[in-house]
Amino acid sequence: MIRLLLLVSLLAAGAVGVRAQHLLDWSAEEIRAVGQHGPWPPPPVQDPSNKVSGTPAGIALGEHLFNEPRLSGDGRMSCATCHQAGREWSDGLAKARGAVELDRRTPSLWNIGYLHWFGWDGAGDSLWAQSIRPLLDPREMNGGPTRAGELLRSDAAFACGYERAFGSRPGSDDERLLVDTAKALAAFQATLVSPRTGFDDFRDALLAGDRESASRYPLAAQRGLKLFIGEASCNLCHLGPRFTSGEFGDIGIPFFVRPGEVDPGRHGGLGRLAASPFNLLGKYNDDASGSNARRTRHVQRQHTNFGEFRVPGLRQVGRGGPYMHNGSLATLEDVIRHYSEVSPDRLHSDGIPLVRPLGLTVEQSADLVAFLRSLDAEALARPSPAPLCP
Amino acid sequence: MRLAAALLGVLLATPAWADDCPLDLGRGTGWVVFSDHYLMAFRSDPLRIEVGEPFALLVNVCTRRSGAAELLAVDANMPEHRHGMNYRATIVAKGNGRFRAEGLLFHMPGRWEITFDVRAGSESERLTHDIILK
Repeated sequence: MIRLLLLVSLLAAGAVGVRAQHLLDWSAEEIRAVGQHGPWPPPPVQDPSNKVSGTPAGIALGEHLFNEPRLSGDGRMSCATCHQAGREWSDGLAKARGAVELDRRTPSLWNIGYLHWFGWDGAGDSLWAQSIRPLLDPREMNGGPTRAGELLRSDAAFACGYERAFGSRPGSDDERLLVDTAKALAAFQATLVSPRTGFDDFRDALLAGDRESASRYPLAAQRGLKLFIGEASCNLCHLGPRFTSGEFGDIGIPFFVRPGEVDPGRHGGLGRLAASPFNLLGKYNDDASGSNARRTRHVQRQHTNFGEFRVPGLRQVGRGGPYMHNGSLATLEDVIRHYSEVSPDRLHSDGIPLVRPLGLTVEQSADLVAFLRSLDAEALARPSPAPLCP
Repeated sequence: MRLAAALLGVLLATPAWADDCPLDLGRGTGWVVFSDHYLMAFRSDPLRIEVGEPFALLVNVCTRRSGAAELLAVDANMPEHRHGMNYRATIVAKGNGRFRAEGLLFHMPGRWEITFDVRAGSESERLTHDIILK
């Protein structure tokens, strides 16, 4: 009997011991670093360059236009063809497929409204300017410069939706209507905010000192998070609540797209930005103060921009893929292996390199993947949009 | 991602021999940098520098003999990583030794070295100041 009681006591003590180990020790500096990745969700987007940003009528018009194949040259492709709600607002392909196969992957639209630079190369300085590019690009929707205007004028529902959003009937200025189409598209896309995740619950509990709630976060994810903000220094670029600086970097992905041809990345994007009539220094910026154009006014094109691509946010990352700007890595495990084994020679850094071979163990790699997957959550199913003008 | 509040709280400690220099930044906060030839005070606008957010620097500069001096350029780099900003600041003279450098942006946390090129007559010099962004 005594032995039985002793055994029960030991088991009970063991259970308590296991429970206590569900929360790793977190230093004040680590808690501060974890706290910087929240809170989530952020306040809704308000883009001063877009007068229909955040307006119900602009968002409704934008959602209908987003799903509208008549904006494309052959009438068969809409924004939603590549940016699919059921695929984390991407398409699951390594290379985007418009009128032809492209050289880069379709980026997810989650949390897109919070960025300052758009596209893998940052050729767009507003979400609406970026939304014009696929409409016109012959390799993508190939819609041509007048198609949006013709649709807004000829379709009664779109004409009504336009009037509700912009305050007047669609006029005869096709370029203006193209821009307004893009601004409505941007207003809708800016509402695509990813859901709260297990990481967010952990982060909030850790900051609040709620050890019991924090201990529900899996140990592997905790270890991965410690690596992420510590030894691996992933948070130098994947920082803040969206896990991105929104800027650009060269992480050692080959930039040859085919023999003898390279993707110049940010270097090419800055050239296109400067040449675009739709950038924030142009007449279509609705922000009379011009203060939102500071980045555009001061950004400098440097030779180091060659081969740089935008740092993607990491929320919902485990539900997406393939990965990298060119879709060259199939899984999260491949991504971690890349950072573990990347060649320093390829990165030719003459200072302390921001990207270096991490030399991770199998366990560390698995922990980092566990952490990244804790940034995923199931999003609520999106209902079909209500009619524009019932 | 905020510059340590303690750094921003450094009081403007104007040396006694700088009475005639326009080092008052108007808010009682900022940094003073000086060399054998120049005195300079600066603070950021907004006061709190955030990673990834544009900011300006308000800069007052003069010679140690209270003579007029000019701010020619402001730049910043991360010495450990040997890279600079992705942005180029522009300088606007506000008169009486006061300048505004617009369009700076620190895209990473860590140590940033800000460089100020100043000139009085034919003599120019580069002043530097480090800040750590967390």
